[in-house]
Amino acid sequence: MKVHRKKRLINILLLSLLSGSGILMVLYALNSNLDYFFTPSELITEEISDNRRVKVGGMVLEGSVDRDNTTINFTITDYSETVDVSYTGIVPDLFKEGSGVVVLGYLNEGKLDAEKVLAKHDENYMPPALKEK
Amino acid sequence: MILDIAHYLSILSTAIFMLTFTLVLILDRSVSHSTLLIKRSYSHAFLLFLISFLLYVYLALTDNFSVSYIAQHSNSLLPNFYKVTSIWSAHEGSMFLWIIFLSLWGFIFNLSTDRDLKVKNLSIGIISIIIVGFQLFLLITSNPFEVVLPFAPENGADINPVLQDPALAIHPPTLYLGYVGFVIPFAYALAFLINKDQSIEWEKKVKSWSVMAWVFLTIGISLGSWWAYYELGWGGYWFWDPVENVALMPWLAATAFLHSLSVASKSNVLRIWTLLLSIIVFSLSLFGAFIVRSGIIDSIHSFANDPQRGMYLLAFIAVILFVSLGLFASRLNMFESSKNIKALSKESFISLNNIFFGVLIFSTMMGITYPLIYELIYDQKISVGAPFYNAIYAPITILATMILVISIDSRWGRTIDTGRSFNMLYISLAMGLIGLSLIRYFVGDMSFIIMISFLMGLIIIFRYLILVIKNILEKKYINTPSVIAHTGLGLLILSISANSILSSEKVFNMKPNEVRKFENIRIEFNDLELLNNSNHDSIKATFALDHNGKSFYLSPEKRKYFARGQITSETAIKIMPIRDIYLTIGEQLEGGQWVVNVQLNYFIRFIWLSAAMMAFSGLLIISNIIRRKS
Repeated sequence: MKVHRKKRLINILLLSLLSGSGILMVLYALNSNLDYFFTPSELITEEISDNRRVKVGGMVLEGSVDRDNTTINFTITDYSETVDVSYTGIVPDLFKEGSGVVVLGYLNEGKLDAEKVLAKHDENYMPPALKEK
Repeated sequence: MILDIAHYLSILSTAIFMLTFTLVLILDRSVSHSTLLIKRSYSHAFLLFLISFLLYVYLALTDNFSVSYIAQHSNSLLPNFYKVTSIWSAHEGSMFLWIIFLSLWGFIFNLSTDRDLKVKNLSIGIISIIIVGFQLFLLITSNPFEVVLPFAPENGADINPVLQDPALAIHPPTLYLGYVGFVIPFAYALAFLINKDQSIEWEKKVKSWSVMAWVFLTIGISLGSWWAYYELGWGGYWFWDPVENVALMPWLAATAFLHSLSVASKSNVLRIWTLLLSIIVFSLSLFGAFIVRSGIIDSIHSFANDPQRGMYLLAFIAVILFVSLGLFASRLNMFESSKNIKALSKESFISLNNIFFGVLIFSTMMGITYPLIYELIYDQKISVGAPFYNAIYAPITILATMILVISIDSRWGRTIDTGRSFNMLYISLAMGLIGLSLIRYFVGDMSFIIMISFLMGLIIIFRYLILVIKNILEKKYINTPSVIAHTGLGLLILSISANSILSSEKVFNMKPNEVRKFENIRIEFNDLELLNNSNHDSIKATFALDHNGKSFYLSPEKRKYFARGQITSETAIKIMPIRDIYLTIGEQLEGGQWVVNVQLNYFIRFIWLSAAMMAFSGLLIISNIIRRKS
């Protein structure tokens, strides 16, 4: 009986050790692959390293869209601060001046090199971070 | 008038489902006349609800814009087909359809015969009370029957144009059928626990129901992926969007559940675990409903931001989980301590499989909920994207496939014959390595993890090929569904790996009559055409492509829909066995130039083919069960 109990104890310890380390690994993978979401104002106050992928949400500033061959440059605003974005590729159909946009990319000397530009399916969409204000 | 009738019928149906539940509670469940009463009560409640839904379809077809929901999501200019599908293009109607399907599964189950009257009646009662919960949710928080006051608008606001698409018309219904189908194993498992008779083989009884729901879920997810590929213009098949993930979790759990069901019904171990899984699968389906319906997570799919809906669903799920897990815990002692699982037996391998599925589900759940928790604690919005999921799914899938190929010859209750089985493994490993070197020769350099995935995909396919040939030669039994599904898994791994390293894209600025070259494809911009259609105007660009001496035309479009003024892109895709040529146009620039995006998407068809193989294997399992019965 005692041997049996000892065996069970070892099994339980082993199991919790395994699942514990598993959970830690998942958490580690999570933490090293997060995209932080900022508004332009937060982006300016926050210190962000160049190799950290960020998401920035705001409205496309009127009159800021400028094309250079296949690259498109524009400015995102939250009506208090702005950030410049540069992107190569096709912007979504709902992308237009004065409407909401979310950009995913890396900061490069204060400018955002975008990997992805997202506009919402819904034309009434506003980034949630702006809506709260 | 018709609207009122439909509304009353829904309310009446809720009352009769409640009555069914009460009957199950108070009647003697083991006698046949109370069974008949319960059966009839359920059927009537369902039929009333179905009539209510059909009336609603009629209202949508006849452009009854005094109904607020129809006015907001349909339009008199829409073709009839989309007038019907507009019903599930937003929250209220989707919920309506969801409950119709939920009660439909119960209805078919209700008609089936079962010798264990008690368990069957209890299941009907459980299904009824779940339906009541959802019907109240529909009628109280998301009423599709609300009218526009004081005057009905003349014309509807239109369905979202990206949703005007045949694949999208059938994607939600198929997905919902899958989600809610797991109510049958869930209810039967609870009934089994309440009944406390462990000699009843509930696992065998719910097998075909569970497989059928799994087939719908598989097809529903693939349809969504296929639709996103050609409609959104991004050219991908999976984006790790939270709403995709909440569909993936029940699929993973259900796949684990089907595996453990076969263990529990064949060798009487893992019974407790299988019961728990049936609860987990259904809860994850409900969790999916909660995530999508509450708008708690920022996603391209989220419909509505209504905290009341979210709170109701959360409370509902909490009650269901609390009751079912409480019941589960209180009945743990009804099983005599089960036999130990023999090392390296089929049972042991499937247990390992379940652990892998568990890790994937847990990680996905973390990926979905972590941003919510993080924001609560640090007041900082974050999102979890593809890099995290790739970091988890790639290694786990590789580990799981290793176990799979080792386990292929394993038997129930017996240790695997390592000698014979491993010979086959070495042969398929050798063949896989040859295949991998060929791939490397043609494709060039690739990362280690991609190489390993190619190898694993190849080994699975070769190992099953050897198995089939060997069993045909020795005239032995072949488990065809298992072979097809797992070969599908191998194909899926291969095509995802190939797609990720081969696919490429390029953006051009082009004027009509200009020519560009991309890889070995010559692309000539022929002309632009303006088209007027019933509910949208469109600019159609025509390109002549020349590829290895074969020439063809592709015509991507830009559309402007009248009702909402929304602009959408239509991609043009040349489908070829190995790769798709995928063309989209962006905006017009100054000087008459257009932004044109060309993508080469490799092996993308095989991704859906492998999903189709899995779904087909499920149908085979069901047809086998039916044939064996008759």
